[in-house]
Order: sequence, then structure tokens, then C-alpha cells
Amino acid sequence: MTRFDDLYTEADTFLHRLDPRVKIFSVLLLSLLAFVLSHLLSLILLLSFIFLLLLLARARYSKTLFALKFVLRFMALIAVLWPIFDPSGTPVLARLGPVTITEPAIWRGITSAVRVGCLATVWYILMFTTSQRDLVRALVKLGLRFDFGLTLAIALRFFPAFGSVMESIIDAQRARGMEFEKGGVLTRSRRYVAVLGPAIVTALRTADTLSLALESRAYGARKDRTYLRDLRMSGGDYVALSIAIALLVVPAVARFAFEVPI
Amino acid sequence: MTPGGEPGESVVTVDGVSFSYEGGFEALVGVSMRVRRGEYIAIAGGNGSGKTTLAKHINGLLHPSVGRVTTCGMRTDETSVANLARKVGYVFQNPDHQLFCTTVEEEVRFGLENMDFEESESAPKAQAAMELVDIVALRDRPPFTLSLGDRRKVTIASVLAAEPEILVLDEPTTGLDHHDSEHLMSTLRALNRSGRTIVLISHDMRLVAEHVDRAVLMAAGRILVDADVGAVFSDLELLREAKLVAPPITQVAHRLAPLGVSPSTFTPSQLVQQIEVLRGGGG
Amino acid sequence: MASGSSGEQGGKEPTGGAGFVSPKTVALYGVLTALTAAITFVTFVPFAPTKGYFNMGDSMVFFSAFAFGWRAGAICGGVGSAAADVLLGSGYFAPYTLVAKGSEGLVAGLIDRSGNGKRWIRIIAISVGGACMVATYFLSELYLLDVGWGAAIAEVPGNIIQVIVGGTVGSLLAWYVRKAYPTRSRA
Ligand SMILES: Nc1ncnc2c1ncn2[C@@H]1O[C@H](COP(=O)(O)OP(=O)(O)OP(=O)(O)O)[C@@H](O)[C@H]1O
Ligand SMILES: [Mg+2]
Repeated sequence: MTRFDDLYTEADTFLHRLDPRVKIFSVLLLSLLAFVLSHLLSLILLLSFIFLLLLLARARYSKTLFALKFVLRFMALIAVLWPIFDPSGTPVLARLGPVTITEPAIWRGITSAVRVGCLATVWYILMFTTSQRDLVRALVKLGLRFDFGLTLAIALRFFPAFGSVMESIIDAQRARGMEFEKGGVLTRSRRYVAVLGPAIVTALRTADTLSLALESRAYGARKDRTYLRDLRMSGGDYVALSIAIALLVVPAVARFAFEVPI
Repeated sequence: MTPGGEPGESVVTVDGVSFSYEGGFEALVGVSMRVRRGEYIAIAGGNGSGKTTLAKHINGLLHPSVGRVTTCGMRTDETSVANLARKVGYVFQNPDHQLFCTTVEEEVRFGLENMDFEESESAPKAQAAMELVDIVALRDRPPFTLSLGDRRKVTIASVLAAEPEILVLDEPTTGLDHHDSEHLMSTLRALNRSGRTIVLISHDMRLVAEHVDRAVLMAAGRILVDADVGAVFSDLELLREAKLVAPPITQVAHRLAPLGVSPSTFTPSQLVQQIEVLRGGGG
Repeated sequence: MASGSSGEQGGKEPTGGAGFVSPKTVALYGVLTALTAAITFVTFVPFAPTKGYFNMGDSMVFFSAFAFGWRAGAICGGVGSAAADVLLGSGYFAPYTLVAKGSEGLVAGLIDRSGNGKRWIRIIAISVGGACMVATYFLSELYLLDVGWGAAIAEVPGNIIQVIVGGTVGSLLAWYVRKAYPTRSRA
């Protein structure tokens, strides 16, 4: 309901049903693939594949747009600035004082921008289809210490609450006549303390209650903590994992062993 | 408009306001109401009915998506919040979101400093505000170490210090014990008598019935009814719709209505008085 | 901090049952991480020409390091900022952020520990910690993400400003919380 909702959208697609560990590995493999590919066309192909998966994941339009906002800006920055800083190659298109713009540099900039686009969007597949609880559980299964996993779970659990607290504090201080846009660095810093200070005190209060709750629920009583619902790999999970591995290995072998330019 | 102008003129006008939060949730739907100078009104309704959202429109923290809000002659979307803060004192629902200074006295003076008051002016104003809510003894304590009730009093003092024309209080009695909440209500009553306009947000119907002149009932972002408390409490059906319950005395009065007791009875003394009248008439 | 705080100053990690860190520490680190992420999320300025945002997250990294020691600085700063990246849709930045902000908190906390609150030591702590952050972002963008010199350099000035403002506000906050909320027994 608020903008602090996470990216996860409930649905029942095959991507939602995949074991979160498989999804984490696949995302890492596809990220590596983006570095293996060096040709603009193959990167665009990869980007299209990622968007196809996002479509299949029934990612919500508004959430995708929100997430894309930051990535698109960074991609534009790369594409625009690359040619200015890279004078190599011919043909030279323009010379403006010390700056030389060449055609290959423009293509290199666009290629790098698309690669960053792939790296950014491939994460969404994981984030859109995996609840935070499953994510933390997968990390613990993959060897993250249980207490660190619990810390992470607490952090994710309180993030939206603290986000609203922050907004409420900003409102409260504005209602008392505080203007955030005015003044030099020092006055501004003091104003930030007026917002961050109450937020920290609220957080520390929360920590006090929370640690009591943890103690009273026998936190840490046994190391081999058990779960009510365990993660178990199914046939489909193995198939998906194999596909992801093949997607990385085949192009990697083609490029590095047989020097196919892809 | 001169400060302290004509009593009875409209100081807040909410005109056909709809408002949606980011993410599309429509928290206010076609709301219109006005507050006159010197009035003491309540905005009441169940959780999530839009009370806070409406109140935040009064001092420009939120701007309507549709319609307009005028406060003390200023369109809220054409004025800064800081400017409106001189006219409207707003006590937030959660005191911990408002407090941040290291002593109570600094806290009470903080708003005055924002409004560029000189030290010589702000000290007596702060002193008066602290006296009003009875926290002078706490002046050197860090606010966060106080009890919830005292923290709430500090936020109220910090808002009162600037002597705003309009006072908006969002559930100010939550967390206060009976004594403190009665003390606060009588302070508000006194402030209202001295000419201050007060908007009280509450779902404590007993407080509303006993202290307030007019009540605006909200449900699902709409205004259900806007009338004198007497009229509001004579309609139990309406209260149910707003997810509120009438004060026990009023419920008793409704049960006794066949005997001739008026259904708009809010306080024990009113009820006793009526029963005495009835008995006097009968015997 | 003022109170006798074994967990942060002494080298030993306070433990709970089964060799885990104590519930106090888990709760404290959890909420500080959440707050770091929330502050980064709420205070970003959308038009800065960077990975997307200029934010006050650094002040939480420095605050955690100065108020609760280098461990808190590293974990809450690193994980909290990385989580904000993920939540803001820049997940590919998260690994770099984890290292950049984690090392910022770790280094600033370690240097500050030897200073007993001396102001010039704290300034060094902020500068060296901040340098770790700026360098990590610059080098990883240049060599790991291969975004080119232009985009990598464009990010540096904003990051330096973030260190200066974040360091100042973080130190103020550490002082402030000790005064405003002194009753807390620290983990
Ligand atoms: N920042 C926000 N973003 C999105 N939705 C919000 C936000 N704040 C409030 N809402 C929603 O708007 C509706 C009205 O909220 P509001 O806070 O005005 O209710 P309220 O009457 O003050 O309730 P309460 O008695 O709980 O304080 C609620 O359903 C709430 O979930
Ligand atoms: Mg409310």
C-alpha cells in the first residue's frame, strides 16, 4: 500500500515456485553471462530474454517502472559520457577542443549501458518473485549463520516501518516551521539531526523491546535450528538450474575456447 | 485578515477535496467542511478513516489532488508549510516523531526559533506554555527519558508556545491516564474560551461528547455527518457506520428514551438531572 | 560510548546461546540496518547524476561506527546500504555497496576507537573511511562494471560531498543520542 512495499508481488508462476536458491544461482550465472557477451546484439538478446522472464513473472507494471527509473538514468549517463572520455578508434565524427568523438566509442558506450541494463534487471526476476522470508531462508540454507540471517530478517521486517517513521518525523518538523531548503551546511546538518535523531531513538527503543522478545522465545537455544517448512529441490528446480548453467557455459566456451565473437 | 479577527468567520475551508496517497490509495473522497474562528470541533472516525489525512491538509503537509483548502485566508497549495506553521499548531499522533532536543525547554523553544523569535521573546513564551501543561519541573530533563504522558505534554507545550490561532491535536489523550487526560481537556477548554480555534482528532467518544461543540464523523475517507454533538449522538446507527460507539451514558439514555430521557445526554450529571426532573414531574 | 560497553570496545563478541551473538546485538544490528536502509531510501535526491541518488545513508554508517563500534559500522552500514540498493531497484550495485559502505564503517570505527573522542582523530576516521568508500565505487565501476571513465568520474564529487555531510551529521548524532537518550544499556 505504501511506497515502502518491497518489490515482491504474490503470484503463482513457475518463477515463484522455483527454489529461491536456484533463483539466486541463476541470477548470478546470468550476471556473469552479461560479462561474457561483448557484442551489442547478443546483449540486447539477453536483455530481451530477461524482460520475457519478467513478463512471465507477472511483475507489476508500476513496480517495474519504479525500479527501472534509476537504472535508465545510469544507462543514459554511461552512453552519453563514454564517447567523451574515449577518443580511440576511427572514424572520427567530431573534434571539440580536447574532446574527440569516434564512432566505435559511441557503440562501446551503448554496449556498456545495455550490459548494465542486463545486470540491473536480472535482479528483478529474483526480487519480484521471492518473498523476503524465502530469501533469508535460502541464504541461511546456503551457509549464512543463523544469527546473521535473523539480523537480516529483522532489518527487512522493520524497513517499511522505519520508512514511515522517517516521513512522519519530517512532516512533524515541517509543521513546527522547519524549512529544509534554507541555510548553509551547518544549519542543514542540525536539521538533519532533528530528523535522524528521533528516528534513531525510535529504533533503539524498538531494539530494546525486540531483544526481550528474542530472549523470551529461546533464541539461540540450539544451533541446528529447524524450520517448519523446509526447502527441498524438485525436478523442475534441477531443470531450471541446468538451463541457467548451460546459458552461461555454452557462450563462455564458444567465446573463450573457440574465439567466436559474440 | 487580521489575527484575532471576527469570531464566526471561517478560518479553515475544505472544498471538495479528494486525496490519493502515492500508490493510488484514495484516503479522502469529496470532503467539504469548514471551521469557524473560535470553534471547538472534533474529527472522529475509526482507524484508517482518513482523520489524520484530513488534518494534514489544514497546515499544508498534504495538498489535495482535487479541490482546495484555505487556511486563515491562504490557499495551502500556494503557501509554504513554514508559513502556515505560524497560524496552525499541529500536535502529532506520536510524540516521539516530534521530539528531538536534549532538554524539555529547548524542545519547547524550538518552534519559536524556527519562526525567528528573539531570545527575550521566546523565553517567556516557552515558560508560559510549560506552565499551561504543568511541565515546568521537567524543563532540564531530556524529553525521551520522560513517560509517554509527559512526552505528549512536551509536544503540546512546544506547539502552544508559538501561540497559534488554530490548534490541531491528533489523538492527544492516547497514553494519558484519566487525570492527565482530564487536565489536558480542561486546558484545551480554557484555550478555546480565550479565543483559540481547536480541532481535536479522537475516537474517544466520551471526550468528544463532553468537551466538544461540533463533531465531524468520518468513514472510508468520506464525511458521514457534520453536526452539533447533540445531533450526532442521537443517531446510534450513524455511529455504528463510523465504527464508533456512543459513550456509556448516552447508550443508557437511549435505553431510557421510552421513559422520556433525551437521547442526547452525554454526562452523568446530565442524566441524573434528567432523571430528577422526570421523578419530580411524576411524583 | 560513555557506558561501560564490553561488546564494542573489547575484542570479544558478546555471545548468546549456541555460540551466536547475543539477542541484544542481533536486535540492535537488525534495527540499525533497517534504519540505514530506510534513511537511504527516504532521503535520496532523485536528480543527482549518479547511480540514482544522493542520500543521508552515510550519516547512519558513521553514526553506527562512532556510537556502537566498527562491527556495527561495517555490518549495519554495509548491509543496510546494500539493502537500500536492492529495494531501490539498483540490485547490481549491492555487492559494491556492501564493500564500499562496509569498509567505510569498518575503517572509520577502527580509527575512531583509538581516538577517545578526540576531534582530529575523528576527522581522520571520516576522511580515511570515506576514501575507502569513494575508491571502492570508482574502481569497481571502472574495472568491474566497465562503465567507462566518464560515468565513473561523474560519481566522485557527489560521493565526496556525501562523506563530508554524512561524517558531520554522523558525529553530531553520536553525541546527540548519548545526551538525548542516555538510559539505554548498550549491547
Ligand atoms: N503515507 C501513506 N501512504 C499510503 N497510504 C497511507 C499513508 N498514510 C495513510 N495511508 C492510508 O490512508 C488511510 C487513512 O489514513 P489516516 O492516517 O488518515 O487514518 P486515521 O483516520 O488517522 O486512522 P488512525 O485512527 O489509525 O490514526 C488508511 O487506510 C491508511 O492506510
Ligand atoms: Mg491518524
